[in-house]
Amino acid sequence: MSIAILTDVTKCIGCAECVVACKQVHGLDKDLPRVWQKNDGLSACSWTSVIQRPGNHYIRKQCRHCLEPACAASCPVGALHTTKSGAVIYDDQKCLGCRYCMTACPYGIPRYDWDRRVPYVRKCILCFERLERGLQPACTTACPTGATIFGERAELIAEGHRRIKAEPEKYLNRVWGEHEVGGTSVLYVSDIDLDFMAYKPGLDIALPTTTKKAMESVPPAFLGMGATMLGLNWIIKRRQKLQGQSEDKED
Amino acid sequence: MNRVHVTKTILWMLTGLALAVALTRFAFGLGVTTNLTDTTPWGLWIGFDVMAGVALGAGGFVITAIFYILRQEKFHPLVRPAVLTALLGYIAVILSLLVDLGLPWNIWHMMIYWNPHSPLFEVGWCVMLYTTVLLLEFSPVPLAETSRWANIRRVLMKFRFPLVLLGIMLSTLHQSSLGSLFLITPFKSYPLWYTPLLPILFFISAIALGLMMVSFESLCTSWLYRRPAENNLVARLGSAARWVLGFYLLVRLLDLKISGNLALIFSGNWESWLFIAELLIMAIIPIILFSIPRVRHSATGQWIGSFLVVAGTILNRVNVGGLTMVGTTGEYYFPSWMEVSISAGIVAALALVFLFAIEKFQIWETRPREPESDPHVQPAFSRGGQTWLGSPSVAGRTRYSLAFIIAVAIGFALIPAHKIDSSGVVDIVAARALGGDTLFVDGNRDGFGVAFPHAAHIKAGKGKESCVGCHHMNLPLDRQSGCYSCHRGMYLTADAFGHDWHASAAGGNVACVDCHTRGEDRTAATARPCADCHKDLMPEGAAIKVNTYTVPSYADAMHDLCIPCHRQAAATNSDHPDLYRCPTCHNGKSPDWPTLAGRQPWKRRLNNHNILPVVSAGIEGPTP
Repeated sequence: MSIAILTDVTKCIGCAECVVACKQVHGLDKDLPRVWQKNDGLSACSWTSVIQRPGNHYIRKQCRHCLEPACAASCPVGALHTTKSGAVIYDDQKCLGCRYCMTACPYGIPRYDWDRRVPYVRKCILCFERLERGLQPACTTACPTGATIFGERAELIAEGHRRIKAEPEKYLNRVWGEHEVGGTSVLYVSDIDLDFMAYKPGLDIALPTTTKKAMESVPPAFLGMGATMLGLNWIIKRRQKLQGQSEDKED
Repeated sequence: MNRVHVTKTILWMLTGLALAVALTRFAFGLGVTTNLTDTTPWGLWIGFDVMAGVALGAGGFVITAIFYILRQEKFHPLVRPAVLTALLGYIAVILSLLVDLGLPWNIWHMMIYWNPHSPLFEVGWCVMLYTTVLLLEFSPVPLAETSRWANIRRVLMKFRFPLVLLGIMLSTLHQSSLGSLFLITPFKSYPLWYTPLLPILFFISAIALGLMMVSFESLCTSWLYRRPAENNLVARLGSAARWVLGFYLLVRLLDLKISGNLALIFSGNWESWLFIAELLIMAIIPIILFSIPRVRHSATGQWIGSFLVVAGTILNRVNVGGLTMVGTTGEYYFPSWMEVSISAGIVAALALVFLFAIEKFQIWETRPREPESDPHVQPAFSRGGQTWLGSPSVAGRTRYSLAFIIAVAIGFALIPAHKIDSSGVVDIVAARALGGDTLFVDGNRDGFGVAFPHAAHIKAGKGKESCVGCHHMNLPLDRQSGCYSCHRGMYLTADAFGHDWHASAAGGNVACVDCHTRGEDRTAATARPCADCHKDLMPEGAAIKVNTYTVPSYADAMHDLCIPCHRQAAATNSDHPDLYRCPTCHNGKSPDWPTLAGRQPWKRRLNNHNILPVVSAGIEGPTP
């Protein structure tokens, strides 16, 4: 089963209860304005945030939990990986701190403990431990207006389209996260354009496929290079030997 | 002092500086020592040290391929220096990775936790293996100096060919995989650099760079030690490099033509100029230079040509590694001086190892004369110190040690204490005030407070009523009171007391015993509360706790005041069970989110709460 979160931007009132709930459940520190932060409210101690857009629009930002996550594909030690339920989670014990995941994320989500001597990558982990105990994520539990809800991915996509169909003049005709970067588990329906959340809107390829092709050609390249070098060496050796022989004869 | 002395002294100083900075980086973390951010997680250490460092080490595999595989025996003089440079280059890469990684002690995790789909995993493994191979390739050279390990040397010599072959195969992989690293960022790499052919382009340019790097260092050491350069061999390398570079140029431009991005070169934005500059420096000018036989054989031509290829390829790696992403991320990262000094220090330290090796071992055909070992030189006299420095070798060691130690001290002195102490919290934006009516406000509690002109604030706040503006007992939507809007450090709890000011003759001029009882410990906990003297200032139940002398931030003060009461009310009032929850106040209708919702109705309702203390701002002197 693949789980998901659907956020309805029209229903969010920006109260940030989801942010508080997230902080309480994961025991996160207080936020201070740091020089290395982006101005979207996310940080190593805020795994979700509410951003305001002009005209009283509030959009909750969090990890998208891509179906084919670029962060997990790029991590050299597999510290980031997808659980059975679809949450992309992070293993403190494996990480070596290369920050390739932060470079690779098309939404710029993972954050770093820049101020710590022993820093880790931090991002929303979809409360995977709560899911295993049969609970919902903290944020969807806390939301007082039902703007962000939890459920089965296919059902939530259907629910999103149902809402759009019911009130086509209110919503933009698109469920964000249905196709982007190969599909994500965090979905949005909205009355304003949400393309600003991604570095490059309309990128519908699953990013791991880009490096996968190159990585698959590694073994043939390795052996091919070896064979080419050996072959060249043999030819040249033979030619030099023949040359030597003919020189001997001339002598 | 000759060239070697001056060069070595400078290198030792750079190493010392880097040592001080590296210790700081490990003691205080990456955040306060680098300019890296959540948006730009990779900076100079990846873009230059790792990306360019690996490329600069390409000389090792290119020359061994020419000599052992293609059996071009005339290149023998260049093999040992090339292998040594490659080995040192890869050690430099590993050292800078250790500085850059957040958890460097976990670097060995790549051996046990595998993710073969990650290009970085592949690069990591190849670098580990290839460094080992290079070490085995090179170790017969120092082993030749002693007969003790002759057996080991003989075994290594026997396995020389397979080692060289393995080294070439490994280099092929990771030189290209460094390009694959950036295949996963089509969303932020600029199209002039992003192409599925990145790995192939990286590999081809690494070959050209390898040829030129060997030439460059032959020329450098010949200048340094006044020894004849291998100009004939360098000319041959240059001749080969122009073909490789020509092929590179062809592939790159054809690829752009096919992907339809060729027109972007002439779009006139800064990326297009960067692209033109990169191609000119890295390929076009060197191809032209090396195609003219007279230039190719002249020392000056070789200097310029090889330097251009080296510099251009470094530029290319830095461009792919992040410089061309700033258009998308919108963040203009520039390395901090501490990052630069570590990069420079690592290069300097390994350059010293290189110089040591070429003086001690048979690296070049003719071992350069070691200036410190000449027995016939008079002991040097230092005019500055008015002392004899001893024999040349002792004088050398004295100079280098001194340079190193002084540089370490300079490094520590240059570490910006304020930046380190701030642990990345945005600086206080407040002017340092002067005058007699001042209060020492130390927003970050880091010892770097600002003098707070109290009277001026009262005046600016239109009289006595303005006190509440700073002491956080004010109404919501009073825009003046959000300290952080002008004083950013006020996100933190601030020290509102100022002990030294109270004790000083210029300030409160209070004797110790006026606050601390005789015979008891003189701590904040045992001191008399502020309200004893400042009778009107501290009402009952103020958010300012009189025995901690700290002022909570605006948000904390409001939350601490409202939420406990609301929670109580919610528990007893079944009509409003959610009274204490966020949306009760933050209901999304205000343009001033996240301050609060609504306008006048809130003020009225809050006035009805009767929680605002009556405050008058008279400050009395200390009671006798």
